[in-house]
Amino acid sequence: MSLINQTSHSKGSFKSSSRRAETARVYAHPIPIIFPEPTYKFLGLSLTRPLNPHCTAVFDPLTRSAWISNSGDATLLWQRGFFGKGDLSRSEPSWLARQINARQMKGKGFTSEEITAKRRAERKQFKLDRAKAMAAAAAEAETAFNEQGRVIAPGIAPDGTRIIPSAATWKPTSASVLSEQSPLDVAPGEEEDIEPIKDLEHLQLSLQEAFFLVWALDCLTILHPETNMSFTLAEIWNTFQNAHIPSSVPQLNAPSPPRFDNPFLVSYIAYHHYRSLGWVVKSGIKFCVDYLLYKRGPVFQHAEFAIVVIPVYEDPEDQANSPFTLQNAEPFTWSWLSTINRVNSQVQKTLILSYITIPAESRVSPTILSSPACFAHYSVREVVLRRFIPARMRD
Amino acid sequence: MDDALERPRHQPATTTLDPAEEESSGGEDGGLDWTKLPKIGTARPVIPKRGEKDFEPAPGGGSGLQVHVLDRARAAMFDALKADRAISSKSASYGIWCPHISRVHVTVARGIHFSVMGHSAARPTLIDDGSMKLQKRLELLPEEALYLIERGALFCWKDIQADLTGLDDVEGAPMSVQQAFAEIIGKEDLTLEKYQVFAYLRRLGYVVTRTDPPSPSYPVPSPRIGGDGASLSFYRRLSSIFSLFTTSFLRFWRGSVHWWRPLRISRWIHHDKSHSNVLKSLRVIPTGHSVAPHSSRATPVAPSSPYKIFYNMYKPSTNFRKTTPPQPDFQIVVINARTAFVPSLYELTELFNVLPETPPPLPRKRGTPPVVQSSPAAVASPVSTSTFRHIFSWLLPSTPQPISSQPRPHPFAALKAGKKNIVIAAVDSGNISFFRFSQGAFEEWPTL
Repeated sequence: MSLINQTSHSKGSFKSSSRRAETARVYAHPIPIIFPEPTYKFLGLSLTRPLNPHCTAVFDPLTRSAWISNSGDATLLWQRGFFGKGDLSRSEPSWLARQINARQMKGKGFTSEEITAKRRAERKQFKLDRAKAMAAAAAEAETAFNEQGRVIAPGIAPDGTRIIPSAATWKPTSASVLSEQSPLDVAPGEEEDIEPIKDLEHLQLSLQEAFFLVWALDCLTILHPETNMSFTLAEIWNTFQNAHIPSSVPQLNAPSPPRFDNPFLVSYIAYHHYRSLGWVVKSGIKFCVDYLLYKRGPVFQHAEFAIVVIPVYEDPEDQANSPFTLQNAEPFTWSWLSTINRVNSQVQKTLILSYITIPAESRVSPTILSSPACFAHYSVREVVLRRFIPARMRD
Repeated sequence: MDDALERPRHQPATTTLDPAEEESSGGEDGGLDWTKLPKIGTARPVIPKRGEKDFEPAPGGGSGLQVHVLDRARAAMFDALKADRAISSKSASYGIWCPHISRVHVTVARGIHFSVMGHSAARPTLIDDGSMKLQKRLELLPEEALYLIERGALFCWKDIQADLTGLDDVEGAPMSVQQAFAEIIGKEDLTLEKYQVFAYLRRLGYVVTRTDPPSPSYPVPSPRIGGDGASLSFYRRLSSIFSLFTTSFLRFWRGSVHWWRPLRISRWIHHDKSHSNVLKSLRVIPTGHSVAPHSSRATPVAPSSPYKIFYNMYKPSTNFRKTTPPQPDFQIVVINARTAFVPSLYELTELFNVLPETPPPLPRKRGTPPVVQSSPAAVASPVSTSTFRHIFSWLLPSTPQPISSQPRPHPFAALKAGKKNIVIAAVDSGNISFFRFSQGAFEEWPTL
């Protein structure tokens, strides 16, 4: 079942398993291309044609992204491979559904964003309650010490039970749930309900995602933001690279010598590499990394790996002459590595340092940059990073 | 260091405490809770369990209770530190620090430490008739000696060239711990960081030895046998030839990658029409550690790089024989976290080059893991190899590679374990942070 239509937390195992089956059905296709079951098959040959959708996006140079305003296209790209992000949502473009939900159900059902908001409110309440209980226990211990000179263990009742709530024992009171009700439920009046809600949201594709869909999967057309003419592949190739040329106003098709260390190319190499291995690749900015890898997709399980893209110049000269300052091209300090690793082990992700070598211009002629053929000269190497804790490895 | 605390003294001050007060903690983090120590007769100090920070400081400098608890903990700490640190004369060892060879000559070896520390070396020795003769004797490396001195298990005198008349004539006091640190750190490549790592691991029970023998008499593991055996390597060679052949064959058959239109789904072949095949055809970027990264410099790793393997490490459970050490469980690089950066790809490649490949975690993979990447062509096209096998499998009936009969390890576990492992200990003024860098192999475990 799509997150949009999710009504409530499931109660029974039957319900959750049927929901899982529904999720598996909705998100059955890992990429937008569909292969129908062949009706006729002979000696390993079949005539069935793959169904490749044709979506349309508009390039937006300012945000360095491609916008898909057609909600059908947006849903398709989200459900088949989890491409893009709703500009008014956390991931799935669910703004319209949330609005309709809020009007029609008036708090009877929750969208996933509302469920998250509720959970966060409860958590906050729990922390407040816990702090209150701890303060009370400390005050009690203080009184006992002052009056009787006794040192008692704070937070433990005479019968040995703990007074301070833990995450496992704490239950939300009805008051805390009510107070959290989203303001959307209160607002709408009669007239507003009649007026249909206009979908203001668009799906926003990063340039990497857009190029993967255009070039590798051939299921997206990108339009020029001003002329509304469709770009050719070669134009997209140049435009996306130029989007990263440092200048106050990014110009389309501005001539500049192509470089192997163009930030678009480097991050696209990493994106393409993991996509081609079947991972669902999403941005990892919330975890101090470049990408997160999901096994089947964010609706199925948490991301397993956090990818830090580290460009490696084959020739240090190229780095010195470069107009770009690539992130992570300079060596890491140990404190920064520890920071990233701490953040990611906290959320159960394994940190992967993904080294992308940038071909030396002295080895590979930059003329090859006129087409994606240059990809064959880059290379990707992963290094898995984990803390090593000798005290726990003794066996 | 505070000399007053250093000096062993008897009769620790006793505090009378209610035993019921001691149940208040049990957490993992926080400082040492010294109140957990036994109160009276602390002849042998025990490292206490960690306590719990159970209050926030009250505004205005702490309440009466807080001050009381703090004072109690502080008093307990001093009591623990005041305790006599004694060693039985029956288990004390004796040695002579010889600065010119950076070794401690152990004259009396007692206790369990010498089952995993020390090695025998032949040195010219003055024997009874007054002549010099090569004689084997037990010697300790600087870190081993310092560790034993610090523990109080070894009394070590400094060798003075003028006086070589033997143990009976040794007079005077042994080196203090401070003197030993001053004398020994810096000898035989031993930095303070390396000693700290050594001592920490030894205290946990690991056996730690040098990777590069500091002298020829130092025992090291026998060199690893390359490959898995003759028949396997033969098969490996055979299959690499095959894969080369199939690669070129399929290149010819399908034409090389069309760079403006990489997506090619054959109109006719049903096998092509699946998501995994589409993704396979998109794997066009060279990947994997089997080929060393290019560099425009002749030596991409500066000779001054601190990333050199220094210690071999054996788990306490490993059956360690001092004279014929087995292959190490881990190998460790020790660096100063303030002066060194995280290793570059080239430094890591150089480290991985000398390391053995570890099999993926259980359930174990089949005999030859898909490491048949001796040729770059095989790396670039795992696709074609498998296609080839798929189509022509009936042609190779006696393939010694049961592809699907054995259980495969869980892909996540295999991905996280990596293929080659190096432990890097980043030491920042005494705080040691261990990291494990493993060679990742995402290309071998596609999810589709």
